[in-house]
Amino acid sequence: MAGFKKEKPASRANYPKLYASDPLAGFDEATREKVSAMEDYIMKNCLWQFNSRGWDRRKQNEGILGKTTKLLVGEEVENETPLEKCYWVDAVLLSRAFRARCAWLAGMGKDEVQALMKILHARIDWLTIDGSLNEELTVQNY
Amino acid sequence: MPYHEFDCSKVIPERKQHAVVKGEGEDLTSCLPKGYLNTIPGSISERGCAYCGAKHVIGTPMKDVIHISHGPVGCTYDTWQTKRYISDNNNFQLKYTFATDVKEKHIVFGAESLLKQNILEAFDAFPEIKRMTIYQTCATALIGDDINAIADEVMAERPDVDIFVCNSPGFAGPSQSGGHHKINIAWINQKVGTLEPEITSDYVINYVGEYNIQGDQEVMQDYFKRMGIQVLSTFTGNGSYDDLRAMHRAHLNVLECARSAEYICDELRARYGIPRLDIDGFGFQALGDSLRKIGLFFGIEERAEAIIAEETARWKPELDWYAARLKGKKVCLWPGGSKLWHWANAIQEEMGVKVVSVYTKFGHQGDMEKGIARAGVGTLAIDDPNELEGHEALETLKPDVIFTGKRPGEVAKKKRVPYLNAHAYHNGPYKGFEGWVRFARDIYNAVYSPMHQLSGIDISKDDYATDKGFVTRRMLSDANLPEADRASPLTGYTGPFDPIAALRAKTDADYPQFERKTSTQAAE
Repeated sequence: MAGFKKEKPASRANYPKLYASDPLAGFDEATREKVSAMEDYIMKNCLWQFNSRGWDRRKQNEGILGKTTKLLVGEEVENETPLEKCYWVDAVLLSRAFRARCAWLAGMGKDEVQALMKILHARIDWLTIDGSLNEELTVQNY
Repeated sequence: MPYHEFDCSKVIPERKQHAVVKGEGEDLTSCLPKGYLNTIPGSISERGCAYCGAKHVIGTPMKDVIHISHGPVGCTYDTWQTKRYISDNNNFQLKYTFATDVKEKHIVFGAESLLKQNILEAFDAFPEIKRMTIYQTCATALIGDDINAIADEVMAERPDVDIFVCNSPGFAGPSQSGGHHKINIAWINQKVGTLEPEITSDYVINYVGEYNIQGDQEVMQDYFKRMGIQVLSTFTGNGSYDDLRAMHRAHLNVLECARSAEYICDELRARYGIPRLDIDGFGFQALGDSLRKIGLFFGIEERAEAIIAEETARWKPELDWYAARLKGKKVCLWPGGSKLWHWANAIQEEMGVKVVSVYTKFGHQGDMEKGIARAGVGTLAIDDPNELEGHEALETLKPDVIFTGKRPGEVAKKKRVPYLNAHAYHNGPYKGFEGWVRFARDIYNAVYSPMHQLSGIDISKDDYATDKGFVTRRMLSDANLPEADRASPLTGYTGPFDPIAALRAKTDADYPQFERKTSTQAAE
């Protein structure tokens, strides 16, 4: 067999669940509206949140939304590996789209943006992983 | 769960879980049909088989290869007239199709010697071709023919040839998607890493899940070359066998059809650390963002912006001409797999049509997640539909046009619903900025062609007006437009019949020459 083949961790499909219910449900109307606007953009224009396996989705959501948050609040983003750089690429496009479409972001402080992005991250995790009806997310192999 | 039960499928109650209507406030945690399951007995599926998915979708677009089916001759039917994955080597892989022609006696006595004879004859008949793929079929899988052993024998006898074996008989999965999976994994296991390529750029990609339907790959490759990017391999449209052996040396995998080719990207990421970047080559916004992302990854975003600006200036007015005339037209988006999500949002945003239904023949729940996320409220989403359900949906939804394959497309035509070929296209390519306008042009012609009105007339008996057999564009599509639009001198598509010929005529001198980085710069 050609190529370098890594061992696959047998446990990788057993990634922990983070949310048992919709994490957006308890927030006020204004917060829900803001998160919904950002969620709508992601769902209609992005593909990174829909990798086929749950453990990949967790990494994708963390990688891209984490870097998007840093970009939105002006923090430095380090891309030490090609995989990190790939997350950053999607994060740059997403942060630009958010700035263009969500004018209210400009009036928010750093802490507020970070808090909002944390809720968005939880909501995307819920939709694509923890609350997902996709029965293939826990398949162990690609 | 907002399941939708078709009247025609009430006798197959399990079908109810395979269709949903996206309601107000629904999201993916409450609205998703089952998917990628064995077709329910009693439901006449439109799916293909795992052999078809491996060979006819992914294997055969490789251009410099003898593709041979080890089985009865009928398995290898799909070729020149049914597939449009063209290539720049005079379409060798479309013009010639090979089968070992297994008969009853071979089922009894074995077909390995027949296979070897066929391999040698095929190489002798085409001495300039030194690469071959062999596909297992149901019959030869069941009798236990060892294709790998025969391939090894031939490669030992003829060191200048290389052979890839794909064990994906028709029954090896619920649909053609099972075959996509098998050939992805087989290729990386058998062939990736067996050849070292020549690297000619600082920016090297594999373009994955792209099948060069009517030239799509060549359009995108042109953009990449204008950016100074080396397309090391294309998996697999217009792709070369040996280029695909060198996939391990790319810096980035640019993935188009995740449904058929995400597996090899994921494995390349796990085994070689090459990132996977999903893109959309359809639609001005999505394509522009895709080029920007690739540019950003390599630090050459300005090159992407230059292309986007040039192409948008040239083609956007023509797209807008069609969009004004397609506004509100109802579409059933019924492709095989990935186009339900590639197109769902882009055609609504940029052409003004309304998607009233999405379906997928062989997609997984992940495809439906993307499709439903991109579709609007009220959209009917169907997994693995049968023909009667298609009839019922057309009668209920009354679409203005349907995008689907040729088999359900013919059914739609009988119901006088215009159809466009979502798999092989009508007048593609549809990728790229110009291609997107060509798609809009085809949609416009499908919706407004007077033929569809005329097709309802039985000229042998109906009383019809002989002076009203044809109506002009202004009567058909422009009647209700604002005066400014009607008075505009702009027109629809003004490009050539064949946009690919000009791309093939380009030489290296027609592309910008970018200076390579020094090793120090590259390390930074």
